[in-house]
Amino acid sequence: MTAVLLENVSCRVLASLSLTVADREAVAILGPSGAGKSTLLKVVAGLLPHAGEVFLDGQPARARAPHGRQLGYLSQDLHLFPHLTVAGNVRLALLFGFDGPERRRDRVDEALHLARADHLAARRPATLSGGERQRAALARCLARRPRLLLLDEPFSSLDADTKRLLWADVTEVRRRVGMTALIVTHDPEEAAALADRVLVLRDGRLTSDGPWQGNGVPPDLRRSGSIGPE
Amino acid sequence: MIPLAVICAVPLVVIAVTVLGAVVALATHLDAADLAAVMANEETLFAIGLSLRTSLVSLALALVLGIPAAHLLARHRFPGKAVLETLLDLPLVTPPLVAGVGLLFLLGRQSPVGGGLAALGIDLLFSPAGIILAQTYVAASIVVRTARTAFQEVEPAYAYMAWTLGLSPGWAFLLVEVPMAARGLATAAVLGWARALGEFGATLMLAGATRMRTETLPMAVYLNIASGETGLAVACALILLAIAFALLLVVQALSATRPGPRAA
Repeated sequence: MTAVLLENVSCRVLASLSLTVADREAVAILGPSGAGKSTLLKVVAGLLPHAGEVFLDGQPARARAPHGRQLGYLSQDLHLFPHLTVAGNVRLALLFGFDGPERRRDRVDEALHLARADHLAARRPATLSGGERQRAALARCLARRPRLLLLDEPFSSLDADTKRLLWADVTEVRRRVGMTALIVTHDPEEAAALADRVLVLRDGRLTSDGPWQGNGVPPDLRRSGSIGPE
Repeated sequence: MIPLAVICAVPLVVIAVTVLGAVVALATHLDAADLAAVMANEETLFAIGLSLRTSLVSLALALVLGIPAAHLLARHRFPGKAVLETLLDLPLVTPPLVAGVGLLFLLGRQSPVGGGLAALGIDLLFSPAGIILAQTYVAASIVVRTARTAFQEVEPAYAYMAWTLGLSPGWAFLLVEVPMAARGLATAAVLGWARALGEFGATLMLAGATRMRTETLPMAVYLNIASGETGLAVACALILLAIAFALLLVVQALSATRPGPRAA
């Protein structure tokens, strides 16, 4: 079954791009800065206007507003809400569509546990370290058990050890929960660690589709982790 | 050579001494016993009550109108936006008296708007409703300007993130953007309230100056100075000064503790 299908998607930086991601598959998009990696995720999330069609679980996504797309988005800047605790951040994701405070509380605990962020529940984002913030954001992202996970270089600011720990955790959770993932990164090692398949995006076009060979990405890749319409 | 700081200190002292001089002159005009007597005066109490009631209603209206408008201006680009923003800033720089004359012509029974409202039984002029209209007019402008800055300081990406978490744009606004802009919005409310409390010119035009009917604190100062009852005028002026000072302290406190919406 196809989880994500993009047909001839074009916008400011994407040129007639088509892509198929199977259910429960993890696909990484590698590419230089400005290639359109983050834009691609924003298109899938419904945050950018575009030409062409996006299908999620076989249904046209155009009719669904971003808040109705049932996906989890983890951006490089994370955007944890600073006025809420970590548990509050997670709870906000469960405000609608989950019956009763008890069930919601269970879901919050479950998400925090999945992301190994139980001990952070009462903390404010400003008091967290880089790795802790990633775990908090991951918990929030997983709370709704989204069918599709969009990862926009969320681990790029972390040290190598923390990054590897989180790669392993994300992969384990994704497989356990059974989520499809679309990951954009400039780090070939990250792509290999997180994804089943790696694509290269250059100048708005997908230029390869297959196992990552370690070429095609210039060394001057820079971060681009902001979320939202450009 | 005189240090620059000393040169700059001279005008600072001149300004501060002038402000302080005016305050002290007012404060020492009445002795404590006289002040206590005029404070308990029925007219003073009426002016305090009317000012508080009308200014709080005006503030609520200014916030209800101003916050969504400020959000729109902070988040969207559209043709004519610069002209619209300039228009919204006009009440900040034009004398309220001028605005009052304009509103009087707009809402007078001879105008289509005023005539239409009168036909519906709504008479805003020369009543407490006129005071609220005048105060809302001046307060909304400052609320929009301050709230717009507050929203601009919150990255839109936080709202987009909330959308991906299942919150509609309306809920994201209420649960994410408003709390993140809370300090700036509180400042907007305090400044708007201060502006509404001190409103005089537009109120004079729209509500008139009638004792014990449309007599707000600024109006009481005007009426009592005009009729030679200086004691009452000074008491009302001191109350206005005290409220303004307290509100400015609140603004200072909000600014001092303002960390700004941090990326997290």
